Amino acid sequence: MERGEKLAIGIAVAGHAVLFALLSLGFLASPEPLKPSVPPVEVSLVEDIALEQTSPAPTAEAAPSIAPEQGPPEDAAPPAPAEYAPAPEPAPAPVPAPAPKVAPAPAPQPRPKPAPAPVPVPKPKPAPPRPTPAAEKAAPAKPAPAKPAAATPAKAAPAKTATAAAKPAAKSAAAKGSGASPTATAARPRGSRLGDDFLKGLSDRPSPSKAEAAPAAKMGAQAAANIGSAILRQVQPCANRQVNPGPGAERIRVAINLRLNRDGTLAGKPRVVGHTGVDDENQRYVDRVDDLAIATFTGCSPLRGLPDELYDVQNGWSNFTLRYKLPG
Amino acid sequence: MNPVLNMDAATLSPIALFLQADWVVKSVMAGLLLASIWTWAIIIAFSGRLRRTRAEMGRFERDFWKAEDIDAFHKAESNRDLPSARVFSAGVQEWRRSTASGTVDKGGTRERLATSMGAAVALEIDKLSDRLNILATIGSVAPFVGLFGTVWGIMRSFTSIASAQNSSLAVVAPGIAEALFATAIGLFAAIPAVIAYNRFSHGVNKVEAGLNRFADGFHTTLSRQLDAAR
Repeated sequence: MERGEKLAIGIAVAGHAVLFALLSLGFLASPEPLKPSVPPVEVSLVEDIALEQTSPAPTAEAAPSIAPEQGPPEDAAPPAPAEYAPAPEPAPAPVPAPAPKVAPAPAPQPRPKPAPAPVPVPKPKPAPPRPTPAAEKAAPAKPAPAKPAAATPAKAAPAKTATAAAKPAAKSAAAKGSGASPTATAARPRGSRLGDDFLKGLSDRPSPSKAEAAPAAKMGAQAAANIGSAILRQVQPCANRQVNPGPGAERIRVAINLRLNRDGTLAGKPRVVGHTGVDDENQRYVDRVDDLAIATFTGCSPLRGLPDELYDVQNGWSNFTLRYKLPG
Repeated sequence: MNPVLNMDAATLSPIALFLQADWVVKSVMAGLLLASIWTWAIIIAFSGRLRRTRAEMGRFERDFWKAEDIDAFHKAESNRDLPSARVFSAGVQEWRRSTASGTVDKGGTRERLATSMGAAVALEIDKLSDRLNILATIGSVAPFVGLFGTVWGIMRSFTSIASAQNSSLAVVAPGIAEALFATAIGLFAAIPAVIAYNRFSHGVNKVEAGLNRFADGFHTTLSRQLDAAR
């Protein structure tokens, strides 16, 4: 080997070393792929739902008996009358409320049948002056008795009584206007609208019940679905090895019954207890699918990680029926 | 560029792929890497040598045709390490041997001159194209060797599927990537070898044609000399 070849070998070795070092150091490595910003969602595929339902750990203790507050928060109770004392000055407005109550009594519509026209007219007239100022107490009161007296002399007596009743009412209204009104202070809502006896039947003594968990020792819908999907997940490698016997066979769903020991091994050969999804096309594969289903569950038989506390309860997984179909 | 050595399977790191492979695939890869190094060494050495040889041959022939006295030129130039010089030297030596005795057989002398110079040309071409057969071998065999490594690695991946009882792509993919890396190295070695072989064959053919032209020219000169002698 001559000198030129030695030099060439040196150059070639150096070139290869540089090339492979560059490749190894990530010269061609693509930059970090962008992580998707969508947060992962936990999904559990549930094959079945059970017919019975369990409640999540019911509590035996009742809620505390506190009545709900209604209305705006109250101000301090004592200042309330003092504050509302000035308010009644414009509040002759409520005063007419008693006055009309009295007025219908002297002027009953059926009564003025002989002279219907004059009777209704004068009564509205005195009514407007009455609410306005407290000083014109006497003026509105007088016309009221005068007109009914003239129109219906026979019935003057009841009319007079009516005006007499109206006068004290107006006077009392004037008196109220000057001072504190009892109706105004009483009208404001406070507290709740519950009755006084809403605490009847409740006691503040602790409940005698000591229950903390669901009382039924029974496997519920969610636990059954979880165990079913856990078993199907564990037999998936064996299921993937099964060969589909023919078209449509993957539509057959085999209800298969497993009797299990506590350590997850099979206590007996799995039994096929029913089929769904069998039609004309795939009914000849039913027996083959049964064999494949049994082979799947026996092939991956020690089932791991099933909850021990749900082994021998009612509907527990010591004797568990689930539905299986060929993948695909 | 990331200065850290990438060892995870997601990157195309040759060292990681090499270290994760089976020993059969490893030996295939190592052999192909050596073949690639050898190919490039031959390419570098041969291209320089071919270019130098052709330039010097052209200069030698120009000098030869300009030379007045063939004996003086032979004394000065025949020791050079050059194919043209050796062919020239073979012709001159055969001429001297044939004309040493008193009686000269012209036809026999011409035949011997042609034979000896043809043999010298063939020897020079053999020496020149010595390394080309290596390029041809690497170019034709390296893909198959790489393919062997790939087939072996994929077989191993499938057995690992069977043992893991898991057919997900994450189990299979690293083994197949390692296996395919063997074919990649095979092609990496073979493609330059094939290109260089074709190119250098063409160069050697041109050198051979040039030597033959020179030998024929020298033969006609000697033949004319032979006729002029008597």
